[in-house]
Amino acid sequence: MKGRILTYYLFLIVAVCMLSVMSVMLGTATPSDPSFEIIVLNIRLPRMAAALILGGGLSVSGYLLQVFFSNPIAGPYVLGISNGAKLVTALVFIVLAGYGIHLPYLGLVAASFAGAGIVTSAVLLVSRKTRRMSVLVLAGVMIGYICSSFTDFMVTFADDHDIADLHNWSMGSFSGMSREGVVISGILILAGLTAAMALAKPVEAYLTGETYARSAGVNIPVFRLMLILVSSLLSATVTAFAGPVSFVGVAVPHLMRRLFKTAKPLILIPACFLGGSAFCLLSDLIARLLFAPTELSISSVTAVLGAPVVISLLIRKRPDGR
Amino acid sequence: MNERVRNDIPLIELKNAALGYGTQAVLSGIDLSIGHKETVALIGENGSGKSTLLKTIIKEIPPLTGSVLICGRDIKKLSSHDIARTMAVVMTERIYPDYYTCFDMVCAGRYPYTDSLGRLTKEDRDAVEEAMSLTGTKDLSDRYVTDISDGQRQLIMLSRAIAQEPDILILDEPTSFLDIKHKILFAEAVGELVEKRQISVLMSMHEIDLVREMAGRFVALKDGVIDRDGDTSDLNDGYISSLFGLDGINYRKYHHS
Repeated sequence: MKGRILTYYLFLIVAVCMLSVMSVMLGTATPSDPSFEIIVLNIRLPRMAAALILGGGLSVSGYLLQVFFSNPIAGPYVLGISNGAKLVTALVFIVLAGYGIHLPYLGLVAASFAGAGIVTSAVLLVSRKTRRMSVLVLAGVMIGYICSSFTDFMVTFADDHDIADLHNWSMGSFSGMSREGVVISGILILAGLTAAMALAKPVEAYLTGETYARSAGVNIPVFRLMLILVSSLLSATVTAFAGPVSFVGVAVPHLMRRLFKTAKPLILIPACFLGGSAFCLLSDLIARLLFAPTELSISSVTAVLGAPVVISLLIRKRPDGR
Repeated sequence: MNERVRNDIPLIELKNAALGYGTQAVLSGIDLSIGHKETVALIGENGSGKSTLLKTIIKEIPPLTGSVLICGRDIKKLSSHDIARTMAVVMTERIYPDYYTCFDMVCAGRYPYTDSLGRLTKEDRDAVEEAMSLTGTKDLSDRYVTDISDGQRQLIMLSRAIAQEPDILILDEPTSFLDIKHKILFAEAVGELVEKRQISVLMSMHEIDLVREMAGRFVALKDGVIDRDGDTSDLNDGYISSLFGLDGINYRKYHHS
């Protein structure tokens, strides 16, 4: 059992390392290019780091949401949380840009966190009315569409020079990441990951349902609040830097459960991080290289890879009928 | 089991309590005391308030008025952690996560005793092992909870409650959806547990035959109050008929004991 888990960890670490190297080395600029070094240091390395850090964070965020809703197809994108974070971030960015104020990274994360919080509250209200996961996800997707429409509307009518970056970002992209952004997002995601690991014990108890968790001694209101705060911190950080990235939060935790064949959060949380990193590094490579020099948005690639996983989750039978 | 528990103080005591949801009282004027080494069955029609009473005792819902004491202490002042070391439950909630082994499920009962990372000590492992051998489920250790039958799962949930080493076990209709074999296995495991550990059991139950077999005392709920509180040996067909409104229905014809 222990040997098997170590083997899978090793496999994931090797995958992340290989994909990282490929991300840096592959592209239209080759080592013989005179500008190769600058491109690697200023563009590819930060972008690779973004996919690695944010992909991992997104996947852990999805895992925590699945625990929270006792629902294997919950995730920041399918529940509309990413698009809510995007809406508020874009709103704050555009309004402040109108006054000539350029928002610092932490300000963007704060706006994104507020957006994530608002949509999460809305989804929570829906979840009180239904225990059927298909209804919950449908509601989340709809809320996500509404938020996305409003963002498009704003981006369309905002001043052109403000939004050159904003347009790419609102479609979801790891490009345009600066070194400062890498450091700040790295610190925030690491904090979220550490907090998630610290919650591993009550998370495991909560997997069996609220009543059993309470009877084992979990303080349910405090635990639920912690869970949603950590998950929101992670998904808000990702959205602030990379915009909404679809399906990673649902697909990766599920793939990790399938791979490791365990429900133990102490094993799954680091696995989700590594798996999310690998998934996003691969997706970003495909987005960048498939039709180079034209780039695809990261979400169109993650959707093609991730959505089938969601469908497979929706159609299978469960003994508890969910 | 628990050094804090004194034998002269009831494990559970309700004094003139009104219980229910929001402002809607389902039960009122409830006086009930459950002492040590008692197996008490809660009976009554669907909707008579059995679950409401149990949910109040496990602190899922607060009492509307009156007081609820656990080992002499007001339930409102006890944390989930305090209660977890006194009381373990098998409820009707059925959430079974993927790839969750039966062994891990029973280990979940050790939650109040493990460190902040949830690591198991030898003592914890022994408690889990003992619980699973008491219910005869050791063979299921490595199986996933999603892959076994309802009856086996209920025995696993019982093992989980046993591993928690409670002074009182709360069971909410634990045998309702089980086949006859697992009803019997479940009842026997509870009987052995009570015998071995000298703990108390409070359970809601529909099967009157099993109530007579398992419990020494019954508490009958009807019309929002405790209708009768007595020995299960006094639980005769006449009373069952009146409690469940079986007038004119030939209860004996369908219910052999």
